[in-house]
Amino acid sequence: MLSREENELLTRTGLGTPAGAYFRRYWLPALQASELPTPDCPPVRVRILGEDLIAFRDTEGRVGLVDEFCPHRRASLFWGRNEECGLRCVYHGWKFDVTGACVEMPNEPPEYRFNNKIRTVAYPTREYGGIVWAYLGPPESVPELPKIEWARVPENHRYISKRRQESNYLQAVEGGIDSSHTNFLHASLEAFRVTDAYLEAVKNSNNLRAKYHILDKSPRFTVKKMDYGLAISVRRNAEEDTYYWRLTQFLLPAYTMIPQQKGLAINGHCWVPRDDETCWVWNMTWNPDSPLSEDDWKSIREETFIHARVDPATLRPLRNKDNNYLIDRDQQRTKNMTGIHGFAAQDQALQESMGPVVDRTRERLGTSDTAIIAMRRLMLQEIRALQEGEEPFAARHGDVYWVRSAAVLLKRDVPFDESSRDLVGAEV
Amino acid sequence: MNPAHIVTVRDFSPATLAAIAAQLEASTEFEHLVYRESELDAVWSITGFFLAENSVAQDAVARLHETVHRAHDLVGEGRPREAAALLRTLL
Repeated sequence: MLSREENELLTRTGLGTPAGAYFRRYWLPALQASELPTPDCPPVRVRILGEDLIAFRDTEGRVGLVDEFCPHRRASLFWGRNEECGLRCVYHGWKFDVTGACVEMPNEPPEYRFNNKIRTVAYPTREYGGIVWAYLGPPESVPELPKIEWARVPENHRYISKRRQESNYLQAVEGGIDSSHTNFLHASLEAFRVTDAYLEAVKNSNNLRAKYHILDKSPRFTVKKMDYGLAISVRRNAEEDTYYWRLTQFLLPAYTMIPQQKGLAINGHCWVPRDDETCWVWNMTWNPDSPLSEDDWKSIREETFIHARVDPATLRPLRNKDNNYLIDRDQQRTKNMTGIHGFAAQDQALQESMGPVVDRTRERLGTSDTAIIAMRRLMLQEIRALQEGEEPFAARHGDVYWVRSAAVLLKRDVPFDESSRDLVGAEV
Repeated sequence: MNPAHIVTVRDFSPATLAAIAAQLEASTEFEHLVYRESELDAVWSITGFFLAENSVAQDAVARLHETVHRAHDLVGEGRPREAAALLRTLL
């Protein structure tokens, strides 16, 4: 359990909060580059860490990220005209460039213009890996971009999607690192019940997850603190003489890499607080060795795994709280645990059902929650260290993100740490 | 004593508490403290359920429940030996 004070410290990320200050020390995914497809295209709203911002791509292709509200009379710049290297407020014509400088103030008589004294809030941006990243922290402490594998593979080796979740970021991260829920929430009924039909179907499978994941519903967790965050190893019984090991990477401040055996596409997430009660869920599928396969694309199109279709205007999933995630109770009776289609919607349904901000003083945890406990403890340490003046190490050392998740079958007498060393380094 | 080993917590017996206390005394690394916190969480959960299901006054269990909560918080603060000492007062 957490105390009320600890829960508040971890979950509040607005301006002036300790966790907010911590997130602001990192480059954060803000929007997909494709949301600003061309120079002078329409601006888009970006809400991140409780701040309402507008992103626009100027005439020279540079991306600006500025306060949504014009400093003149607080009209929204979403209605602005993106033209000739700036975003012009349509209320009185004030125009701002990507640095936030007010470059024109046409409504004031020339002798009264003071635009050279006006700036709006503007945050630096970088384009990297198909994403526009933003840094909302102190200008004197600009961090490094994370050297994270999915951002560095060729474009046709990756697919990235983004959706809005109506819960605090932390319970979403916890879902991402908790391997044990996958035996239940994401299981078919045949797998959950370990029917003869299921065993027969997976008997000769080369897919370790299909074959072994579901058979041991009580995995053993170990955690290891790393420069980038946490390496979370989960051991399940496989054959009589083997264990099925899965290693999830948790990378600060809020990324995961889902375990996958070598050769298959890897999946991962990044969660960015939108405000205290909503978050952005970024979803990445990538293959370091080859373009995504037809099976990968099928899974993406059919929303079977981490990606979900969204309303393009709001980025809210089409399966959402208002329509009960399109639950099919017949499916729930006969086919899968939830009756909800796709891992993304299943996760979202349960995480949103916990309330906008989970009251962790009321939890009843056990030893299977080790990974979650480790992540919370690490984040609390990091946030408190920053309060004491210590800058986050990972933010300033992008190289530490050059890792990968892993899944492997090992003889029971073989230590996982040594065997996995070759598997967990990124290779692109 | 291997602090990387997670104590099996099925009850709040003296044996379980003693095992956790011994592990606390040997725990120094971040990972060890996480495992100790999870063990104490489990004991706190079990005692909490016990108290909720038993209407007869259970002062001893209530005291244990509260003490384990304090021990848990001490572990979170990086003070495992103090947490161990607190647990040993229950034995």
